Amino acid sequence: MAMDELTREFLIESQEGLDRMERCLTELEEQPQDAGLIGDIFRSVHTIKGTTGFLGFKRLERLAHAGENLLGLLREGKLTADGPITTGLLQLLDGLRSILKTIEAHDSEGDGEDEVLIGRLEELQAPAQAHAKPVRARAGVHTAGAIADASPEPPAAAPPAAPAPEPVQAARNQAASPAKPPQVKASVEADSEAGKPRTQAAGTAAESTLRVDVTLLNRMMNLVGELVLTRNQVLQATAADPNLTLLSRRLDMVTADLRESVMKARMQPVSNIFSKMPRIVRDLSQSLGRKVRLQMEGQETELDKSLLEAIKDPLTHAVRNSLDHGIEPPGVRQAAGKDPEGTLRLRAVQEGSHVVIEVSDDGAGIAVDKVRQKAIEKGLITAERASHLAERELLQLIFLPGFSTAAAVTNVSGRGVGMDVVRTNVEKIGGKVEIDSRQGKGTTLRLRIPLTLAIIPALIVRSVGQSFALPQGALSELVHVPPELARTAIEWMEGAPLYRLRGKLLPLVFLDRMLMPGSTHKLSTERDNFIAVLNADGRQFGLVVDGLADPEEIVVKPLSGVLKSIGLYSGATVLGNADLALILDPGSIALKAGVTMSSEEQTGRGAEEEAEDEAAKTMEYLLVEVAERQAAVPLADVLRIEQLKVSRIEYIGYRPVLNFEGQLLPVEDSSGVLAAVAGDPEAQIIVVVCREGARQVGIAVSHVLDVAAGGDLFEAGTSARAGGVTLLKNRVTGVVDLGSVPPLPVDESAPGEWGQFANGMAEAVR
Amino acid sequence: MSNASAAVNRKEKAAATLVEMCSVRLGKTLFGVPITHILEIVGGARPQPVPLAPSFVGGLVHYRGDVLTTVSLRHLLGLPPMDGPQDILVLESSGGCFGLLVDSVGEVLTVSSADHEPNPSILDERRRALFAGAYKLKDSLLVMLDPDRLDPMRLGGAQAA
Repeated sequence: MAMDELTREFLIESQEGLDRMERCLTELEEQPQDAGLIGDIFRSVHTIKGTTGFLGFKRLERLAHAGENLLGLLREGKLTADGPITTGLLQLLDGLRSILKTIEAHDSEGDGEDEVLIGRLEELQAPAQAHAKPVRARAGVHTAGAIADASPEPPAAAPPAAPAPEPVQAARNQAASPAKPPQVKASVEADSEAGKPRTQAAGTAAESTLRVDVTLLNRMMNLVGELVLTRNQVLQATAADPNLTLLSRRLDMVTADLRESVMKARMQPVSNIFSKMPRIVRDLSQSLGRKVRLQMEGQETELDKSLLEAIKDPLTHAVRNSLDHGIEPPGVRQAAGKDPEGTLRLRAVQEGSHVVIEVSDDGAGIAVDKVRQKAIEKGLITAERASHLAERELLQLIFLPGFSTAAAVTNVSGRGVGMDVVRTNVEKIGGKVEIDSRQGKGTTLRLRIPLTLAIIPALIVRSVGQSFALPQGALSELVHVPPELARTAIEWMEGAPLYRLRGKLLPLVFLDRMLMPGSTHKLSTERDNFIAVLNADGRQFGLVVDGLADPEEIVVKPLSGVLKSIGLYSGATVLGNADLALILDPGSIALKAGVTMSSEEQTGRGAEEEAEDEAAKTMEYLLVEVAERQAAVPLADVLRIEQLKVSRIEYIGYRPVLNFEGQLLPVEDSSGVLAAVAGDPEAQIIVVVCREGARQVGIAVSHVLDVAAGGDLFEAGTSARAGGVTLLKNRVTGVVDLGSVPPLPVDESAPGEWGQFANGMAEAVR
Repeated sequence: MSNASAAVNRKEKAAATLVEMCSVRLGKTLFGVPITHILEIVGGARPQPVPLAPSFVGGLVHYRGDVLTTVSLRHLLGLPPMDGPQDILVLESSGGCFGLLVDSVGEVLTVSSADHEPNPSILDERRRALFAGAYKLKDSLLVMLDPDRLDPMRLGGAQAA
């Protein structure tokens, strides 16, 4: 669309102005007396009016003008921003938006009719114009201001509009009572007071910020990725040459900084989407007859722009759901002994490499019985199965396609395409949705979103002699099948390979067979085999791979159309060793391999997985043996388990450390596992690598025993939960306190690349 | 093909123009690609194979921060694959960028549109679809390749059809 620069600039600025206006309007509803807010709204509309006159958009100008008149009265305190006025102003906002949209699409205003809206805006001015005169005068001003377009009431307007040279001033004076001068002055003062700091702020913001095309940012991100790879190669090539060490170190640092800055540039605060919510909540609560107070927290939390866009719809949906099904009408609430005004909370918080967005209400909650009944009714689950499910598992059923508990199909939600769409959209970007609800108390929906899409953690697997990247988001666990067990590990059911995972049958997909049809269909008895247990779109299956390499954070590169259409790969990436790897798409693999389950089985599985995931987060532990004693490590903190020769452990003073790919890992050995094998450099030890805050620590253990759910222990006679211990397999087991591992005396300013990167990410989001 | 017809048109107008062609050796034949379509020549590449990809795809290479799909000219012509590193012409077609895997890249030749002839009718169909005629050199022929006809999306579509 050929549009001149000026118009484009105007559109962008006006959009921003209207967004600001929307925010102010919703705030205004709570503080109708706030002169600053009214001033802000007035300025937004005024700016649009001013520029439109210049660009010649007459329709827009007329509408903005009508709004400005009303706002003028508000600003002078002659009107109070009550319900109808705010509604009118919101309608004005919508009207202006729709014209701007038309301009954007067709480069002209179109010829829609705004008379009704303008009439309504004029009507709203009425209360301030108790006397007939000002009304007429106003009409005169209007016609005079808006280019004498066939003035509708010329005879009446003529006599009072006496001070022709200054019609606006006259109108103001007449509208107020005779003792004007001080009042006008006061309003001017208030105006300049409110205006000054804002203008200044706007000025500095304009000087220090710049609009940048997103495609350019993407390109920069790509190039930085490329630079990182080249840097890696340079570092390898120059490692032997002491003359270049300093230079390459510097290159290393600059590259890391650059990458961090570009990542930061793509981040936007979630307030960008949160700010739309007050309006939605207001409109919905009015149309549904609810009273709702909206609280928002953590608006400054930042997220990659593309992700922010992607969660806009799911979030809006969740908010609608809360209002429609969650918060009850005031009468019902009162009867239940609750505050007639419901509370909807939106909260964003960063947790590690994820941003968690919570939508919680204090409404009716979800009736688990209803969910069960509905699910059985719709044939999503059998009655027999349902009776086995715990409440928490039953709740997850609402994410199934075609499920909706709304008694009546309303305009807002309840068409049965609700929660499954939310889940699908969030999973598409590598996120997760969890729901928590207590009947009568409220519901909390939690969206876990990765910080960025461009870089994802992935496990590198080997198959058919090549490396492939498997997104960690879909990976739930890894199963190692040693060669001696290869023959017996897999069970066959009429040609379908299955693996017994903790007593449940897991369908298997052989990656090599899938990639090279006709290759062998069994585990190797010569080398180790690995089964990656994947969850994709509610399907669980095991992917058999030939080997595993270390997990890596990979930069996702798009594939050309011809390769995308194969359907197995979601992209490609360049690994640290400069090799290319294709990124496997677990969902497509499941589909291609025919891993679909009967809806009944799927239901059960899906719910169990969710419940398991949830359980894993709160109370699963890795049970280890440390020098004849059992101890527990919170599973959520375990990154990986390394088996290595004891000779690889080095010492800084008396502290054992592990040099792991150039990164130092402090190894905790308070129980003397290392000392026990110190005499034998060939002895194998096991180090559990854990996450502790921003750092990683290793724990030397003798054996890894199992993964088990831990139970809370209460001190006898009290309900105080005992800390540091848990009940694992009916034995009281000590939990390893990762925080107690003292940090290494290393130079904090020179962490490895990932350290810097991680810090950078953390900073970017702070 | 636009190049071919353009060349023919120009010839009809009898105003011979000079075209610069990058020469490419594959087997015994000398091929030419108009240098205006070449973004870069990458030497000594080892493309990463893509399992299950259409057979004409020579694999993926890393090119300036992007992952480039390559087309194997050898495969298109039904020649056995070559071991060892190959040269890649990074070409720009209407559908985007792709790499063309060739045995080796030679010098840039300047040819006159007056020496251009369309594909002979006895050429087999597969080759006729890929070539855009030939230029008569002093002692050999320079077979012209049209990047648009080698675009993997197009080849994929043709294969599916």
